[in-house]
Parts: sequence; structure tokens; C-alpha cells
Amino acid sequence: MPATVETDVCVIGSGITAAMLVDKLADDRDLKITVVEAGAPPPPLARRAELRRRYVDYGDNPWPGDHIETHTVVGRPHGFSPSHVVGGLAMHWGAVTPRFTPEDFRVRALYGEGDDWPLTYDDLEPAYGEAEVRMGVAGDPGPEDLDPRSSPYPMPAIPLTYNLVRLKAWAEASGVPFWPMPSAKNSRPYGGRAQCCRHETCWPICPIGAKYSPEFTFSALARAGRVEILTETLVRRLHVADASERIERATAVDRTDPSRSLELRASVFVLAAGYVWSPHLLLLSADARHPDGLANRSGLVGAYLCGHRGVNAFVDVPFDIYPGMNGQHSLLSTRFMRPGPQRRYLRHDFRIWESAVGKEPRLRDDAGRLMLGDGVLADWRERARGRGTARLRAYYDAMPARDSRLTLHPTERDAWGDPLPRVSFADAASSVASRAYSEETIAARFREFARAGGGEVFTVRPSDAQEHPGGGCRMGRDPGRSVVDSHGRAHDHENLFIVGAPTFVTAGCTNGTLTMAALGIRAAAEIGRAWPVREASRSTPGRGDVA
Amino acid sequence: MSPDPRDRRTFLKQSAAAASALALGCAPEGAERASGTAAPPPLPREPLRAVAATVLPSEVGPEGPARIADEFEAWLAGYAPVSEQVHGYGTQEIRYGPPAPGPRWSAQLEALDSEARARHGRPFASLAPAERRALLETALAQAEGGLADRPAALTADHVAVGLLSFFYGSPEAADLCYGRRIGAGTCRPLEASGERPERLDVEIAARPSSRPPAPRSESRGTRIERGLEPAS
Repeated sequence: MPATVETDVCVIGSGITAAMLVDKLADDRDLKITVVEAGAPPPPLARRAELRRRYVDYGDNPWPGDHIETHTVVGRPHGFSPSHVVGGLAMHWGAVTPRFTPEDFRVRALYGEGDDWPLTYDDLEPAYGEAEVRMGVAGDPGPEDLDPRSSPYPMPAIPLTYNLVRLKAWAEASGVPFWPMPSAKNSRPYGGRAQCCRHETCWPICPIGAKYSPEFTFSALARAGRVEILTETLVRRLHVADASERIERATAVDRTDPSRSLELRASVFVLAAGYVWSPHLLLLSADARHPDGLANRSGLVGAYLCGHRGVNAFVDVPFDIYPGMNGQHSLLSTRFMRPGPQRRYLRHDFRIWESAVGKEPRLRDDAGRLMLGDGVLADWRERARGRGTARLRAYYDAMPARDSRLTLHPTERDAWGDPLPRVSFADAASSVASRAYSEETIAARFREFARAGGGEVFTVRPSDAQEHPGGGCRMGRDPGRSVVDSHGRAHDHENLFIVGAPTFVTAGCTNGTLTMAALGIRAAAEIGRAWPVREASRSTPGRGDVA
Repeated sequence: MSPDPRDRRTFLKQSAAAASALALGCAPEGAERASGTAAPPPLPREPLRAVAATVLPSEVGPEGPARIADEFEAWLAGYAPVSEQVHGYGTQEIRYGPPAPGPRWSAQLEALDSEARARHGRPFASLAPAERRALLETALAQAEGGLADRPAALTADHVAVGLLSFFYGSPEAADLCYGRRIGAGTCRPLEASGERPERLDVEIAARPSSRPPAPRSESRGTRIERGLEPAS
């Protein structure tokens, strides 16, 4: 007999979308929440200085063992990580939190590309602001026309380093405005967590907890008795009730005790397991009435996997750059995300970092002669001092094809006998046709931009990767053309919500984490309506009890 | 049945350690460490310090080579062979670090000493700088690849390259290059971010008393290397 857990809301997955959703639900409503995570808790904050040291010294994984042998994905998964840990992939995130722009949600209406989301920027804007407060985002707003927002950031931006001050002045010679990339890093003590002190390992580990991580939220909620977290518990199936389309229960295995299975019963199930494991679980859960998997009347579970592509460039700039001042902080402009009417579609973000590329120490000179002793340092100085390197990058919009898809692998199985997910990304025909144009236009823009400030591009590298992927359970108004509605509620199952990256219609052209978090908060508001308002709401923003 | 990821790691560690031992005809260092029974044998101290004095820049000061050689030794002693490497988004691959380079590097230092005795009748550490350099250049010419750039210290074929990579990956080296106190990777107040780093105007030779080296936890890196670009 499996052990049974009864709860009001069962959340499958514990990444950043789940954290925001659970945080809001627990704040606003009186209900029982159970979070189920296949991975273990991460090491406590007290150990993170040591773990960071091992990462810096040896490249060791700061979250050792945060994966499940055999439980992985087949194909090229781009933004996928094998991480299974409380906090999810956000244990590896860089805490970069730009918003999408209004255009990202209306690319069909405005440009005839891809598909529109079933909600607008204005619909999501309050949740963006709430996510920034809950996780603690430091930022300074950009110009109003490029960075529309109704509320201030909860913290001022991480100060620009000397390098970024110089690079901002250099970059703005082009006429394009830049401002600090908003980041979920504490520019002052916030939510019980410390102020950032530029350790430069935001990715993959902050040793002092100045960077927001979802497990801070979960540990605080668990200590307050507001959430129950089942770790090392792998959900293998969702089950639909016999007489309705409601999800009745989930079945799971306890990874610490293979002989023990678990049954989870809840009024609402929330699938917050990322763009791979969310559609994977729906497909695995096929039954006689749902032979193609759950929530899949449209046939679109697993379809329309999306991401954006990038173009990187390195620029020789005519002034000193001191690599290492705070290399994970950057400048941002959304000018080209909001291009206005266009003859040919191209939208992209624009970021600038300090860099050392082309100016690193080396052991052989240009003639191939080995340098030892003073020679290496002298050579390095000659190449590095007086001039610097700026790194430029643009993510540009790429529309997904319907057959950009996650499926169940016909033969590969995990240790529990379940088919592994197999992914294969594909662009829509219009994006295939415009790819060369997009890359060449961005490269030309980079060159023109560099010359305006007296610099010279010396490397341009388009990337084939589909960065920050999503999709597989896309949202939409039409149940025949989408899997969930604008709140993440499955069209086919009234008590099943799917949240975060899998619900993306398109991946936009900038990092999507804050958008996932905002969608989680929006879903929480909808889910919570079924429960009474909680009287004693939290007063301190940005949970940060990091003991 | 649930698989135990430790099985794979243990297997890889023991395999790698055994491979190192077989290649060099010495004790299986990695296996000993994995079971927690013994620390790796230290690198031969005097030859290592002599290599440091030959390959490091004079600006580290007269005490610098010995200090940096000792830090290198301590760094090597802390390495856990075939440990799980960092992974982020973009790959499903689980990667593991290389076998311990210590046995290979020890053998190379011993070979340098033997060669010095054979050619000059003295140990490597007693040779004149030009003699040491000539022997090292010969040894490095025979080492496999990776010298044009700077390989990660752990994967350096030759101990001299490992030492150079270790040093040139450090905040100390970057500060020397730029002549500024950048202090990469060390905890520094945000409030001072916008200021140009101070000049490095203290002679490095006097540095141990006027500017102690950063704690090891913040001073050395195979990952915080110049040119490493953030993932996102």
C-alpha cells in the first residue's frame, strides 16, 4: 500500500516559478500546500563558502549530486540542466531579471510573426512588480518608453563598476541608451539576506546568499509551517478521476526507499517542473481515456518548444578595462526589443559586459616561441593595458515550429522503466528564412555601434543554441491550439495548472526567468480564489531566512 | 529500483586513480583519497620551488616562487580526483574532473632532477637559472599540446605549465598585469565599485608584510580565469 498524502494544492517541482507561486499562495490564502521535488535539499548556506572555493579552485559542482542517474533527456536540450534539487534550475541561475517588453506578447498582431500570447504586458505587469519584490530585484529603471513599469524596484541597482561606467559612456556614443541589468542580487541587505560583495560567482553559487535562490523561500515557508516539502520524491504519473476530467491523484516513488511508493491527493495540482519534465509527465500519464497523454486534446503537449538565439561579439575598446571587477554584472538596452514598425522582422535585446577575451595571459607568443619567467607577464601587459575588451550580445526572437517537440523516446528508459523525454527543436519557416538576415543585421549593428565609440569588433559569434527554452504546454485562448489558458489552467482539466517556462508561447528575446516568476504569481492569484483569504499576511518582502 | 549515483562516481574515481597508478607505476593515489585513507604524496619540494623560480616573473619577489610553489602544492593536495564538475543549463551531460595530476607531475620533477644530475652533476634546484631554463624548455618541448593558450591547471600535461596556469589564473597575477588592486573574486564593497582600482604601488617583494596574500579560498582559480564569460 502506498503512503498517502492529502493536501489542498500539490505543486510538482520546486524551481523559481514554484517558489513564487507557493510564496504568494501561502501569503494570501489559508490552505495546505505540498511541494514535491525529485531532488534533495541543497547544502545549507553555511557550507557555501567552502563549496564556492571548490568550484573556483577545481571546477567542482557546488551542488554535488544534484542529478538523478538515468533520469535525463535525449537530444539537444539547450537550456536544460540535469539539476534535480530543491530550487531547481535556479540553483544554477545568474539572477538576471529583465522583463519582456509589450511587443513580446503580441508578435502576431504587430509583426505577423509567430503567435500572440493570450495575455498582454499590461495584464502581467503587476505580477512582474510583485515578483521583483518577492525575490528581491535590484535595478534602476531605463527610459520610460523602453522600460514601462508601474512600480519602483525594491532595491537600487547593483552599482556600475568602473568598467561599466566607462563602457556605458562608450556605448552611448552610439545614441543607444543603456542601464544596469536588473538582477535578483541584494544591493543592500534585503529579506534577511546579505548585501552583494562582488564574489563574481553569482553563477553558479553565491557564498553569502546575496543572490536570490528559491530554496530560501521554501525553507522559510517550511519553517513557518506554511508548506510541506517532500524531497527526493519523483512523481511518475498523474491520474484522472473516473467520472470527470479532474486530476485525482499523483503517484510517486521515494528515491531514498525504492520499496516505498507515495500517493498524493489534492484539490489542485500544479505542474511546475520546467519545460522538459512538465510535458514529459503529461505524456507519461496517458491512460485508456487519454491515450495521447493528459491535457493533450489539442495534440500540443510537447509541441512548440521555443527559445531565442544569440549573437556574441567582442570589441577592442580604446581604454583600460580591468577584468574581474564584477564580470557577471552588465548593461542592458531594450531599444531593439521595441523597434516600432519594421520592413523585415528583427527584435533583440542588447547587453554589454567587461571581458578579457583576446587579452588573456598566454605561454607562447605570436611566433610560437615559449615564454617563461618575465616574458609571460610582459607579453600579457603589452596586450592588456591601455586597451580593453567589451563583450556584446544580442538575443533575437526565433519563432518555434509546431514540430519543435518533446516526445517520449521509444526505447530509452530511466531506472524506473519510464521512457525518457526526447527533444528536437525547430524554427518556424519564417524564422528559418530570416535567420541569416537576423545574424548579419545584428553583426553589422555591432560593428557600427563599436565604431561610434572608437572601438573595433574583432570577433562575432552567432550561436546555434536555443537559449532560455520554454514551450511544450503553450498557453492560448483556443483549446484546440493550446494546452493551458492565460492563468496556466489546463483546458482539459479544471484542477490542473501548468506554470512557468512550458507555457511560453514564444521565448521573447531576453532572459525569461522573471516572466516565469510573474506567470507563477498570476497563477497563484487564480488558484487561491478557491480558498479563504489569510488574515495574517507576511509583512517582510523577499523571504530570506537562510539559516 | 533506484540507482545509486555514488556507484558511478566511485567507479570513475577508482578507475581514474588506477589508470594514473598504472601509467606511472606508483600507488593508486586517487583510490586512497577516495576512501579517505591517505593524502596524496607531496610533490618533490625543492625541484618544485626551483621550477617556480624559473617560470614565474621576477615581480613576485625573491620569496614569491617558494610561496607560490607552496600554495600550488596545497591546492593540489585539496583536489578530489574525478569529482563531479559544475553543470548548468545547456547540457544534460554530467562531467567529472580529471584524474589527479600529482603522480605525473611528481615523476616529471624527479625526471628534471635526474636530468640535472646526469648533465651537470647537481640537483635541479642547484643549477644556474639559465641551466634550469634550458632543461625545462627541453622538457616542455616534449610535453603534449596546450601551451599556446593556457590550459586549466588540473589538465596541464607538465608541472611547469600547471604551475604557470595556477599562477596566471590568480587575482594576484591579474593585479600585477594591470598594476592595480582589482582583487577579482574577493569580497569587496559594492560602494567602491565605480572607482578605478587603486594603483599597485607597493613592491611585490615587500608584499607579504604589507599586503598579505588573499586567503586560499579566494586567491586561486581554475575557473575564475580571464576570459570566462558569464553564462547568462
